[in-house]
Amino acid sequence: MKLKGYQWWLWLGVMLLVGMGLFLFTKYDAWLYSRPVAVVAKVDTTSRQRQRDQFKNTDYLVAQRLTVRLLNTKHRGRTLVVRNHYTVSQTMSLRYQRGNQVFLSQLAGKRGRLSAMVSGMKRDVVIVMLVWLVVTMLVLMMGSAGLRALASLVANTALFILAINFDLKWQGRGVLLLFSLLAGTFTVISLLLIMGPTRKMLAAFLATLAATTVAVSLSWLLITITRERGLYFESMMYVTQVQRPLFIAETILGSLGAVMDVSSDIVATLFEVKRLQPAATRHQLLGAGRQVGKQVMGPLANVLMLIFAAEMLTSSVLFLCNGNSWGYTFSMTMSLGITQSLVCGIGIILAIPLTSWLMAAMIGEGGWLNEHD
Amino acid sequence: MSTISLLTLVLLALMVIVGGRQGWSAFWSLLLNFCCLFFAIVLVSWGLSPLWITLLAGTLILAQTIWLGVSDSFVAGRSFLSSIIVFLVLFGLIILVEHAAHVPGFGVEDTDALEGMSLAIGVSYSQVAVMVAGLCSLGAIAEAAISVAAGMATILDEQLPAKQNSLFQAGLHIGRQIIGTALNTLFFGFFGGFLALFIWFAGLGYPFLTVINDKVFVGEIIIVLVSFIGVLLAVPVTAWLISWRERS
Repeated sequence: MKLKGYQWWLWLGVMLLVGMGLFLFTKYDAWLYSRPVAVVAKVDTTSRQRQRDQFKNTDYLVAQRLTVRLLNTKHRGRTLVVRNHYTVSQTMSLRYQRGNQVFLSQLAGKRGRLSAMVSGMKRDVVIVMLVWLVVTMLVLMMGSAGLRALASLVANTALFILAINFDLKWQGRGVLLLFSLLAGTFTVISLLLIMGPTRKMLAAFLATLAATTVAVSLSWLLITITRERGLYFESMMYVTQVQRPLFIAETILGSLGAVMDVSSDIVATLFEVKRLQPAATRHQLLGAGRQVGKQVMGPLANVLMLIFAAEMLTSSVLFLCNGNSWGYTFSMTMSLGITQSLVCGIGIILAIPLTSWLMAAMIGEGGWLNEHD
Repeated sequence: MSTISLLTLVLLALMVIVGGRQGWSAFWSLLLNFCCLFFAIVLVSWGLSPLWITLLAGTLILAQTIWLGVSDSFVAGRSFLSSIIVFLVLFGLIILVEHAAHVPGFGVEDTDALEGMSLAIGVSYSQVAVMVAGLCSLGAIAEAAISVAAGMATILDEQLPAKQNSLFQAGLHIGRQIIGTALNTLFFGFFGGFLALFIWFAGLGYPFLTVINDKVFVGEIIIVLVSFIGVLLAVPVTAWLISWRERS
């Protein structure tokens, strides 16, 4: 369904109003926070020092004196001066500008003078506006298909958060089982919202499940055979639990979307072939499935590879600048991401024959789904 | 043999068995894109401007993904052109967003990993943040553009020359069919990688308002949302480009 002329303009108006409302709300929502929030009214650069490290990188350490006005707490409206240091590269520190809203910590009043430390930017305006932009584009350009995609994203995010809470409750013991079950549920929800409760959906669901399971088990077998040579699980970031199960869980989730994409493409095409040529043989169906698969596999494998590899970019640059060799940098920052993208690639490719075979068995001559026609 | 080499060989074998000649070139596109990315990183660490490198590497990666992944030259040409347009628009948007959000570099969550490293390296990390978001979105832009262009090419092959407007509408219709799965691919691709980070946030009991202002979290979510916008832009731009070129 697509929106009719006047409906479209109506929606545009509504979304613009909502956007304006959200913008104003998040800009003036300091009262929501218990942490002190302040706006930077004036910035003075007090010193600028050249720095050179042992790897001959040149950077500048800058000291700023920020005059800020408090936006919440009982001192609301009062101004104070805070200090900030940053390096021009801003690897860890931040440069503040006039008009930025910042969080303060250790706010204290002494003999009528306030003092505090600056502890970070307030970023809710940006993130809320960006979400608004995505939702607006989805609704205005994609109509009901956009709404369904949105519903699937929201439902999956909610499930994801729920699963993480369960994982913490079990202290990471059942992480693999938990996230495999989650992956199954994700698949059902996403496919139901995209295809509806149809035979197509059932076929795509089975194929996704089969391809993901086979790809991940096969890859884990290969990883074990090669004794994880060249992989450094201790280099995984933000890890608070046993690394290997978490790595597999990440890989399963990561490949799920792409595998679903291939499977549903092939399923949709083969049902179409069957509708146009009811006498299509299994052999023809297999060939048609392979044809579709060939076209989508390259671009899809690249989507995941770029996501996994570009995510490592931030730390790779730092490693290289710290005098590490290309090989060491690759091993420590990229090897796990590349492994994940290879496993996902294997999943995408395996999904092609698996989906085609499954479909041929289901709707080919004498297939068990034909009786319902 | 190292694990990565074996997995690469298995992937190559499967791609050739299933995809034949096209599988072979798909494998090359994957390999070349990785090399492109790696050299982009090396050049940035040598001190070249991350923004220019992003534009250069982005164009190369789009070209390799599309020309090596698609056999039909009509589809490849049109989807390449529209991907470049979308990439440039998105690049502008990313610069704007990253500037407003202030999310360069690392957060307090990274402190452990950075122990003993020199952080004053002189590379602009606010530009590196733009680079990460830009390069992450490339695959998704290309995939959406290819799907729409391929679908429209089928319509053009089958039917008499339709009016420009209805061809554009047909392109949007194809977009509506792919948008659900395309966004899902991105969602899972990203959220798989965020699993550890999210467990960290939940485990330390970060309140919601802290999470949505956290440097690392906001940085990652911006990347996801920007990629979504890339896919959403790729649909009408490709549809418009093909219907416009067909009329003239």
